[in-house]
Amino acid sequence: MQSQRTLSTFPIAPVHKTKLCAAGFLTVEDLKDIKPSGLSKETGIGLEECLEIIKLVNDDTTKKSTVKSAFDILQQEQTLPPIITFSEQIDAMLGGGVPLCKITEFCGAPGIGKTQMCMQLSVDVQIPECFGGLDGEVVYIDTEGSFIVERLVDITTATIQHCQQISQMESDDETKSSMSEFTAEKVLSRIHYYRCHDYVELLATVHLLPDFIKDHPKVRLVVVDSIAFHFRYDFDDFSLRTRLLTSMAQSFIKLATEYKIAVVLTQMTTKVKHGGSSQLVPALGESWGHASTVRVILYWEGQQRYAWLYKSPSKKESTVPYQVTMGGIRDIVDSHDCDKTENNLQQPAKRQRVT
Amino acid sequence: MSNKKLRRAGLSKDITERLAVNNVFTCKDFLSKNNLELLKLLGLGYYSLQNVVKTCCKACVPEPVTALELLERRKSKNFFKTTLPDLDIVLHGGIPMGTVTEIAGPSGCGKTQFCVMLSVVATLPANMGSLDGCVMYIDTESAFSAERLVQVAQCKYPEYFSQEDSLLQLTRSIFVDVQQTCSSLIKRLTSLEEEIISKKIKLIVVDSIASLVRKEYSGSGGKSLIDRTNFLSQQAAILKYLAEVFCIPVVVTNQITTRFGQNPTPSDLEEGGEIVPETDSGYVTAALGNTWSHNVNTRLILQYLEGQKRQVLVAKSPVAPFTSFTYTIQDTGIVQEVDGAGHYHGTDPGIQNIRVRLSLPLEYATKK
Repeated sequence: MQSQRTLSTFPIAPVHKTKLCAAGFLTVEDLKDIKPSGLSKETGIGLEECLEIIKLVNDDTTKKSTVKSAFDILQQEQTLPPIITFSEQIDAMLGGGVPLCKITEFCGAPGIGKTQMCMQLSVDVQIPECFGGLDGEVVYIDTEGSFIVERLVDITTATIQHCQQISQMESDDETKSSMSEFTAEKVLSRIHYYRCHDYVELLATVHLLPDFIKDHPKVRLVVVDSIAFHFRYDFDDFSLRTRLLTSMAQSFIKLATEYKIAVVLTQMTTKVKHGGSSQLVPALGESWGHASTVRVILYWEGQQRYAWLYKSPSKKESTVPYQVTMGGIRDIVDSHDCDKTENNLQQPAKRQRVT
Repeated sequence: MSNKKLRRAGLSKDITERLAVNNVFTCKDFLSKNNLELLKLLGLGYYSLQNVVKTCCKACVPEPVTALELLERRKSKNFFKTTLPDLDIVLHGGIPMGTVTEIAGPSGCGKTQFCVMLSVVATLPANMGSLDGCVMYIDTESAFSAERLVQVAQCKYPEYFSQEDSLLQLTRSIFVDVQQTCSSLIKRLTSLEEEIISKKIKLIVVDSIASLVRKEYSGSGGKSLIDRTNFLSQQAAILKYLAEVFCIPVVVTNQITTRFGQNPTPSDLEEGGEIVPETDSGYVTAALGNTWSHNVNTRLILQYLEGQKRQVLVAKSPVAPFTSFTYTIQDTGIVQEVDGAGHYHGTDPGIQNIRVRLSLPLEYATKK
């Protein structure tokens, strides 16, 4: 079948296409066993271009079958642990945490903790393998400028403390050695931070990400905080906006599956008039909703933060409360317990001593 | 930046010319095209095209840094002291450099006073723990008073400002720019870069961000609310860019608005010590809506307490929890009260309730 594929379906420049067509080269079969020099002679296309055309056609037709059995996928899914969030309830809701090879999106109101979630995940993905982590590196693309390193240091310190507590319980040598390597400095040095000031920079960064990841094969998480910001202004042409966004989504999906990376995006909310009342909805509209595989909406209800699993291929829709503490994202714990265990990691909501 | 010309992007001359014929001049134009369009324009093979795209991307991609480098870079100068002792503590040392901080509150609550005080502080020399630079004060409400500035300076730092010289120095290093329309404001902001460099500006104040847009954009007639949102987002992007590139704090003020429906539950009002509004469904909150709330990195809310006392709330911050402090306005500017610091149960900063002065106290009314 492949040999009957017409050449016009390949990404060949139109000029060359017409020349090929005029010389009678219509299908893949016509190009079989022909040398670049021969092709050049017959069509009048330059030698280098001919070589490229032949290479392109061969590459495309000899590509391995992409069909995998569900068994293979199941095995793959089981060998790749998800990234935990440090909130057991959110983890349970997501099926263990933020999955690799997928795009997960967090939408939410301002100040709800989207950036905090991103920072938390950036640290958690680096937890050594003996603690069930991924020991991976992070690419953090910041479009809003809300990445405050001091805050990241807070979260890192809390995470390391947590791991230390676990390692003290175990007497295993391996655990101890990996614990000694798991330092704040190392964690910080493995977060690669891009600051994009407009959407063109963002597009360029996304284009070049595969190269960066080839150089840094340990990258397990790509964060974009937020995907929407630069697409909210300066756009008269909405079809262009949609196209750029979908092509970016496509690159992320490719990246995620090819390199087994978790892609985490955040998106802000905007207000739309719905009937008589106005409602908060994700800013990039309905069509963008297809881009992410897992979508979590973070929202306030009174003074309580909630995470709502809005879309997921494997888990059912549910809502859980969470809080943002000094140490990062945590479960809600009974406030009476907290007062007793002052030094516990799970301190009450973001409470800091005020002198 | 996006407007980088393609001829500086390291592409071959031939390609640049061919693109220019088709009205593709900048990296922005180039990256807005899809592969098929580019194949058509350039007449290149697929692989060569990939290389061209990569070269173009490399020309405008930001340089990645690790968080560790970022931390070291920020170590020396990362926070700008507000001189309210407890506020500085919870904010890890003050207003973060390189981000946009918003002060929202009802009229007469001290927003302009806060800005004036910050302006004075910013001009102090480095050995007093400050920025030692100039201030660009963009005034849209014509509320800036130089007399008040001098008064705050003299009362707050009587020793330093005892000589005429230092006062002169102070008044010379604060540049006030009055802007009356949205378009002139945005023009001003885009051209601000030159002045930041030439005048060594270390603090940008926009007082207020809300007044102009609320005047020019409305739901009915005139420019629409969608345009307003676009305008605000663009403004935010410029301010963030300036803040970050020059590593300076940007302070903007915002007004309040009354919202109806879907207000916080009654329990919020009790616990948070918020007002119980006079009308049933309306409540007062920061203006400009939800999208704008995303655009500020830190939001401080000023509100009235009883008598002379007012309260500042940290309503959104990447580093601080929800905290509140009481303050009064005196000759020296904003002064924090010893007591009254504490936590409050915060909620969405976009809908955080703000306490306003409901009516004049009786004693003032009878005195007259």
